[in-house]
This record gives sequence, structure tokens and C-alpha cells, in this order.
Amino acid sequence: MIHYCRESAAAKGLANCHSCSLVSPIHLEQCPRCQTRLHLRKPLTLQLTMAYLFTALLLYIPANLWPIMITEKLGQVESSTILGGIVLLWQEGSQPIAIIVFIASVLVPVVKFIVLLLLCFSVYFPQRLCPHKRLKLYRLTELIGRWSMVDIFVVAILVALFQLDRLLNVQPASGAIAFAAVVILTIMSAKSFDPRILWDDDDKKRSKSN
Amino acid sequence: MIVEKVVACHHCDLLMDPPKIIAGEYAHCPRCHHKITRLHHNAINNLFSFAITGLILLILTTQFDLLILNLNGNISGLDLWDGASQLYFGDYKILSILIILFIFILPILFLAFVVAFILSIKTGIGCAMQTTLLRLIFFMMPWAMVEVFLVAILVSIVKLISIGQLHLDWAFWIYSAFCFCYVKVLSLVDRYQFWHWIDEAHQ
Repeated sequence: MIHYCRESAAAKGLANCHSCSLVSPIHLEQCPRCQTRLHLRKPLTLQLTMAYLFTALLLYIPANLWPIMITEKLGQVESSTILGGIVLLWQEGSQPIAIIVFIASVLVPVVKFIVLLLLCFSVYFPQRLCPHKRLKLYRLTELIGRWSMVDIFVVAILVALFQLDRLLNVQPASGAIAFAAVVILTIMSAKSFDPRILWDDDDKKRSKSN
Repeated sequence: MIVEKVVACHHCDLLMDPPKIIAGEYAHCPRCHHKITRLHHNAINNLFSFAITGLILLILTTQFDLLILNLNGNISGLDLWDGASQLYFGDYKILSILIILFIFILPILFLAFVVAFILSIKTGIGCAMQTTLLRLIFFMMPWAMVEVFLVAILVSIVKLISIGQLHLDWAFWIYSAFCFCYVKVLSLVDRYQFWHWIDEAHQ
């Protein structure tokens, strides 16, 4: 039997509709306003979050090792990875842009991996970090997730502009697909995480400390 | 008509009384400070005008070039379709479909659905569709990456400026204006208020 926090809707057998936010008794099974199925918590939240997260983590390896872009300049073929591109930008003197790209395509995915793993494990060790802080971390992952797509869009723009045959030709490479998949999977992972489970032990902990 | 007796927070499941707020105020959860709802002045009319303006601007953007690059006499232009279509005719069909979904199809559908929803609320036509429309609107919201694409354009401008002569064309400015409208629409979309508009329309 899962324990729910005393002040929560779930403890009184009430479910908050995902779609329309109408609170109704769980035994109705369907929301009376919008006919969505009712759940006390998102079903299989930890399993789904972890499944998406580990798939993303696996794909993150080829995303960094494989080139995301192949440049052909006067017959010379050059391939660039995500990290290589950032180093090149830095050396060419556009440090601010190098920092932006670094944040968007390296820091954001890594921070998301760490935070989501931490959140999933913290459910089993609730005494370590108070729910307020964990919820702040969750909101951070929701906010920053989409910004990693910047690199993929830049590749698409460069590919479209440089189609001058032999003179200068840019093609995408397999790393780009892996990286796009990483971004999409981490967004799905964050979406399937239910922050309400962070609060379920809250009153138990407080009664212990009193 | 459904009368709410209680509401619950989506982030911490705290039960509370339904918020009673006037225009310009917003209600947040007392435990985790998650925003429950925000009532803007004249929200429905502002939302409608920004959504319509955004739609028109996005359609206009497709008609002009975003950037024009002059590389030793070789001139190439970029419009909204180019990025995706070049990838499509290469070997990267999945990537091109994803990009066109994220920067064009989802944003345009999102705005169109918001407009359709407000029209249906105001006129009372198509009440049966309203719930479906709302579900689609909230499903699409996290996947439309309009502002991310604008940043991507800016990053590529900096990358390109050292390579050749670059100038920004009409569509770049139109697209920037579109982003402004789009972000404005996002800030006005409020799940709690939307469902209340439906309830009021059905009274």
C-alpha cells in the first residue's frame, strides 16, 4: 500500500485530472468534465522516466563520438563533432557563442541526466534532500530541456546555406540524429516524471522530527 | 455546469479551496509555490489578437528569405523551409521531418487551435470540439521550439559573419516579431482559466 501525504488529494481518494485540473473521486475512473482517465499519480512514472533516461544516456555516447556535420571545402572533407565545433568556435575568437553552444549542447543534457537520476533515486532516500529543493531541480529540467535543440537547428541552417557543390558543401552526419533523439528522449523523460511523488513521505518525516 | 469545491496542486497534490482572484492577480500553491492560475486583464481578447497576429506573421515568414549569404559572388538565401527540405532530399528524412514539426507545423497548429478555441467559446459553435482542442493545445505546447530556432539563427549568424558577407532579410524581422507574439500567447495560456471559459460558455 502506497502512503500518501496527509494533506494531499490522493490521501482522500481524490484525483487531479491531468488534462483539466478538476478534482474528482478516483472511483469514477473518468473525469466528469473532460472524460480523461483518472490517476492518483502518473502510472509507472519512475519506470518510464528511467527507461527514457537510460535510452537517452546510451544514445548520448554516439551523439558525442560521431560527427554531426561533414564539410567539403574545395575537395577537402572535414567532419566535426559537437565538442570539436565548440573548440573551433573558441579558437576562432567567438568565445561568447562557444559558451552558448557549450551550455545548450553539453551542459544542459548532462545536467538533465544528473537531476533526473537524482530525482528518481531520491524517492527511495527521501530524508536526504527536502522536497522543495528537489521540486526546484525538477522545474529546472523542464525549463532547460528544449534548448539543446539549438545545435541541430544550426546544422540544418548551415546545410541549407552551403550547397555550392565542390566549392563549399555541408552535409549532416549520423551524430545529429543521435543527438536529436537524446533531446527528445530527455524531454519525454522529464514529462513522465510525476513531481507529486516527492511529497508523499513529507508528513511521515515531519512527525519523526517533531 | 460543474462547480469545483476543491482544487489540487499539480506539483505537490496539496488540497486547497478554489482560488478567488480578480484580474491582474495570480494564485500559487502555498506549499510548493507552483502557479495555480493567473487572471490577466482582458485575457481572452489579448490572447485572440496575439494568436491571430502570430499566425499571419508566421505565414508571411515563409514567403521571404531569413538570411542572404554572399560568398565571393555565390549568393545563397535561407528561408524557413530550406533547412528542412535540404535535409529531406539528402539522407536525413527523419531529421528534416522533426525540424519542420518543431519550427513550423506544431507552432502553426498550436496558434490555429487557440484561435479556433476562442472563436468557439465566443460564438458557441462547435462546443463538442472544445475539449479535444484544449487537449491538443496542451499536448503540443512543450514541443513547439520557436524561440530555440531564433537562437539557432543568431548562433549561425555569428558563425557565418567571418566567412562571407551576410545580411538579414525581411523574414528575419518578421520571424522575430512572430516570436514576440508567440511568447505572449504562451504567457496568456492558462489551463485553469481555459477550462473555466468552457464551463462559463456552457452555462
